[in-house]
Amino acid sequence: MRRAALAAALGAVLAAAVVTGPAAGAKPGGTLRMVFVSDPPTLDPAHATDLTSSAVIRQVFDALLELDEKLVPAPALAERWTVSADARTYTFHLRRGVKFHTGREVRAADVKASFERAAKGKRPWVFEKLVGARDFIKGGAPEIAGVRVVDDATVELRLDRPFAPFLHLIAYDAASIVPREEADKRGAGFASHPVGTGAFRFVSWRRDDQVVLERFPEHFRGPAHLDRVVFRVIPAEATRYNEYVSGQLDVSDIPTGRCRAVQADARLKSEAAIWATLGTSALRFNVERAPFGDARVRKALAHAIDPSIIVERLLEGCVTPAQGIVPPVLAGWTPAAKRLPLDRERAKKLLAEAGFPGGRGLGPLAYHYNTSDINQRIAEALQAQLKEIGVTLELRRLDWAAHIKLVDDGSAGFFRQGWIADYPDPENFLTVLFHSRNVGAPGNTSRYKNPALDRLLDEADTMAPGPERVKRYQQAEQMILDDAVWVSLYHYASRGLVKAHVKGLERSAQSTAPEFLAPLRKVWLER
Amino acid sequence: MGLLRSVASRVVALVPVVLGVTVLVFALNAVALGDPARAAMGQRADPETLERLRRDYALDRPLPVQYGLWLGRLARGDLGESFREQRPVRDVIVERLPATARLALAATLISVVLGVGIGAVAAVRAGSALDHVLMGISVLGISTPVFWLGLMLMLVFAVKLAWLPVSGYGDGALGHLILPAVTLGALHTGTVARMTRSSLLEVVRQDFMATARAKGLPESVVLAKHALRNALIPVVTVIGIGLADLLVGAPLTETVFAWPGVGRLLVAAVLQRDLPVVMGAVLVFALVYVVGNLLVDLAYLVIDPRMRDAARA
Repeated sequence: MRRAALAAALGAVLAAAVVTGPAAGAKPGGTLRMVFVSDPPTLDPAHATDLTSSAVIRQVFDALLELDEKLVPAPALAERWTVSADARTYTFHLRRGVKFHTGREVRAADVKASFERAAKGKRPWVFEKLVGARDFIKGGAPEIAGVRVVDDATVELRLDRPFAPFLHLIAYDAASIVPREEADKRGAGFASHPVGTGAFRFVSWRRDDQVVLERFPEHFRGPAHLDRVVFRVIPAEATRYNEYVSGQLDVSDIPTGRCRAVQADARLKSEAAIWATLGTSALRFNVERAPFGDARVRKALAHAIDPSIIVERLLEGCVTPAQGIVPPVLAGWTPAAKRLPLDRERAKKLLAEAGFPGGRGLGPLAYHYNTSDINQRIAEALQAQLKEIGVTLELRRLDWAAHIKLVDDGSAGFFRQGWIADYPDPENFLTVLFHSRNVGAPGNTSRYKNPALDRLLDEADTMAPGPERVKRYQQAEQMILDDAVWVSLYHYASRGLVKAHVKGLERSAQSTAPEFLAPLRKVWLER
Repeated sequence: MGLLRSVASRVVALVPVVLGVTVLVFALNAVALGDPARAAMGQRADPETLERLRRDYALDRPLPVQYGLWLGRLARGDLGESFREQRPVRDVIVERLPATARLALAATLISVVLGVGIGAVAAVRAGSALDHVLMGISVLGISTPVFWLGLMLMLVFAVKLAWLPVSGYGDGALGHLILPAVTLGALHTGTVARMTRSSLLEVVRQDFMATARAKGLPESVVLAKHALRNALIPVVTVIGIGLADLLVGAPLTETVFAWPGVGRLLVAAVLQRDLPVVMGAVLVFALVYVVGNLLVDLAYLVIDPRMRDAARA
């Protein structure tokens, strides 16, 4: 009953959250005061790997395409595109007269230069589907053969093989278009003085303090409503909250453990915005490490874990328990997979079958997680839950850098590692995380190798979007869950605070609080 | 001449201390788990890019070679390049140094003025209710965690009363400095106050104090000129040692108040395994500490003519 009430409340907040102010009647002017948890490491799209950097990059730069509110690829610098019958050649037609912040017009050659520059950056996987990209990245070719400048306003991209989510990659911020001469002139300094075509141009960046952007009046969509955007950098959660309630920030995040309190607060509840995002929190097993090579042990543990307790008691019901791997919020996705149900009797039976009756002979199992208050509490909850089937967990907490190293190199057997989608497609969850070619740091940290699964994923990755493709991924997802390689806990949700005078701030499933990876050109202030 | 040689020998003695600190920090980083290249890659890392970054950062070289390379660059005045920000560590630190210097100086000023003041009043009124209250406040200052104190001050003076800004550097306005400086200074005010009190009580029992009073000097002059000056030597020692408290407290204070200083930079660099920045920031902290202590030693010479004579001899 209580859960139903909470679900209803969450639903109401979710519904309220997606409502954005209409553009009609938008008032120009004002400064939007936003906040980051940490300083962006870079403002160069070629080198960014984090949400904070992306939040600025998306305002300063444009890509050929962008994702709309529903995360569907839409025209940006490219006004239209065509796809060949074999789905391997994409031709993009650029808008005429689009200007960089320096005043120079964008040409198709900038697209080629930007892609080749970024392919040698920190996210080469965005470009690796292009013909000749791997050769170029390794230094074996002078250019990416699959990027051809047809004329000043047309660029053709050829793929090694069809790849359904390719347009999402083109809309990704790593594929932002940069003016080559500026990037060359500034070198590494481009990361501190970015120049793009975006609706806002860079003004200043005082490290660990604030990034300031201002409206670019000549943006191809017309000038943004806001005069300026200031991103403050405030690492302490309590300080961000105090700044917000003092009226010094227009948006922020809801502090950990205050989700229900904020929703019950007469003043704040109307400003609370909670929305589902494209991410799943999970526990993973490394199948190459004993005893997790034995599926019966993995299944026993999966059957003994109850995510609903974690969601209700530790996360205040502000996220939803996960059945599958792919979040239901993904557009075009129909959730069908079911995680192994809570069944402690079945868990005990499986343990006995594996040769560990009542957990005897299993010894304490190390559970690895990265330092955070909520991860600690979840670890303690898991410890208590697994105790009920005779399994003792030894908690191993490390900071993120140390944790990810153990996970990547296969030293951890049982560990926490969720996933937040790079782009909205099931391929980004299932192929990246479970295909045998991605073992280790590329994503498959379970080190799972299943030829039948690989075949299914390879097939789905190259199919045209539609129900048949979704069906393949659904089969793959169930296969993974049945084999208990991954135990889903919950799907992530963003928990933000937005002042009533902030209008037009989109909250898509890829947007997170407090960064709000939203196009700020649509935002205006009603004062 | 003797004085100058004494100072010069102290400065030379600092070199092995600072180098020892860098060896220790480098070794600690080496045994700490984690890979800077991987930490810079986010949730998804391409193996070839990882290899390239490790090559670029010289992480594929043996540890003594890595340290040797760092030391070689240091000898040329180059602190290397930040893995995270991909620009010179010198720039990364120099940008943040003024903020930390302002905060540390303000905190020291607060702790000295308040600490000596409270300690002197408590000593004059030794045994009274005021003495107990002041010493109670001092103990509270010493034992209150910086993080908690910072948040409480923020809640009262910024959120409730709205007298001061909540956090941030602002444009360098004094208002932004007050709460972080008081928070960081409070850590040390209690220690200075307690030391001043006990030192003053010790001095007032000396024979020369009776002589000063017998000369007919007013009590205020006796206390300020004769007692306090003599009581300051141990207090100055405590102020020097207190630099360590300031350096320890700076990362926490800077985090609570979103103050863009070297302390916060160090915390982020440790978490990101940004070794060149960690080494650079620790080097700065070590230098501040040893030079601070050197200045304290020199201050003795100013305060106590006997020490000056001994140094000359």
